[in-house]
Amino acid sequence: MNKFLLTAFFAAAAATAGVAQAAPATYAIDPTHTFVTFEISHFGTSTNRARFDKKAGSVQFDRAGKAGKVDITIDMTSVNSGTAPFDKHLQSADLLDVARFPTARFVADQFAFNGDKVTEISGTLTLLGQTKPVTLKALNFNCYDSPMIKREVCGGDFETTLTRSQYGVTYGLNYGFPDAVKLIIQVEAIKQ
Amino acid sequence: MTAALPRACPGAFHRCTLALLALFSSAALAAPQTYTLDPAHSWVQFELLHFGTSTLRGRIGPLQGSVTLDPEAGTGELGLRITTATLSTGVRVFDARIRQDDLLGSDTWPDAYFVASRWRFEAGRPAEVRGEFTLRGISQPLSLTAVRYRCRVPTAPEPADATEICGGDFEGEFRRSDFGITFGLPFVGDRVRLRVQVEGRR
Repeated sequence: MNKFLLTAFFAAAAATAGVAQAAPATYAIDPTHTFVTFEISHFGTSTNRARFDKKAGSVQFDRAGKAGKVDITIDMTSVNSGTAPFDKHLQSADLLDVARFPTARFVADQFAFNGDKVTEISGTLTLLGQTKPVTLKALNFNCYDSPMIKREVCGGDFETTLTRSQYGVTYGLNYGFPDAVKLIIQVEAIKQ
Repeated sequence: MTAALPRACPGAFHRCTLALLALFSSAALAAPQTYTLDPAHSWVQFELLHFGTSTLRGRIGPLQGSVTLDPEAGTGELGLRITTATLSTGVRVFDARIRQDDLLGSDTWPDAYFVASRWRFEAGRPAEVRGEFTLRGISQPLSLTAVRYRCRVPTAPEPADATEICGGDFEGEFRRSDFGITFGLPFVGDRVRLRVQVEGRR
């Protein structure tokens, strides 16, 4: 994980309800509760899923100012479908080409809110060396005080759908494998 | 084919003959078919809400078993074995913890089972299947609903080593407390959502 450490620092104000402090704060991604899973249709029959297991990054969240920043790096070699030959193919030059592009990076600073809940995060995703705009839609968003680590944790569930050919991943389009790939994202970040 | 004959021949001899002719002329579609689960495309992903904030996910599989379906009769038999030690969350310490006896109990009860024979078909396709789910040696009713379902004849680049492949995505949910799994309540939700990918080959 260390080689993917990112240093994005930010200010967060009034992170807990009723506390009117404006001290800068950093939320570090909790790698045990942050995953990207992708879904793609398999011959129009069932849905193939795979998960990226290694990632790192940090998030800024300023509820009072309704602003935020996020910078997350995904280790593309950590793709995990449960099926070793499928992982190998995903990693190959046919698909994710992880030898040339070992990481993907999502950087965003446009946070949309409904009240104090984040509803959308817009930024750019760099995948296979191509940087394109991406908007993540929140299905859940919440902050809580963790009784285990005695810190505030903010996070949620987000989704987006990529058009993989935009990133040059065209393998299988002619066999009927769809261009659309759904990303399902769990994220939790711990106040530093 | 033989299993379909009694249903195809309920009445007089000439009606039976006609039914048989129709049966053969429309290929073997009416006969029950048995599909063996494809380990590369048969998995269950479970989901639980963590501190009301984000969704924990884990994958278990491949699912093992077979399904016999007779869409014309609206019947079928499904038997799945789910070896819980195959759990993968992406975090090894979580996997080891969840296999312990107060959670999945993978040493004491290595396999979970789903055995089902009550089907609802829509337009000749399975829409819902109800049966019995056994986890940690405890059996409870479980219903899985089809999100999508399709049969295909494999074409390149798929190897032509199956006559037909049928499968889809199914969803269901249960309360883990019904199976005696109460650790972490209420911080980790009681409701477990299942997303099942399944493809069977014959």
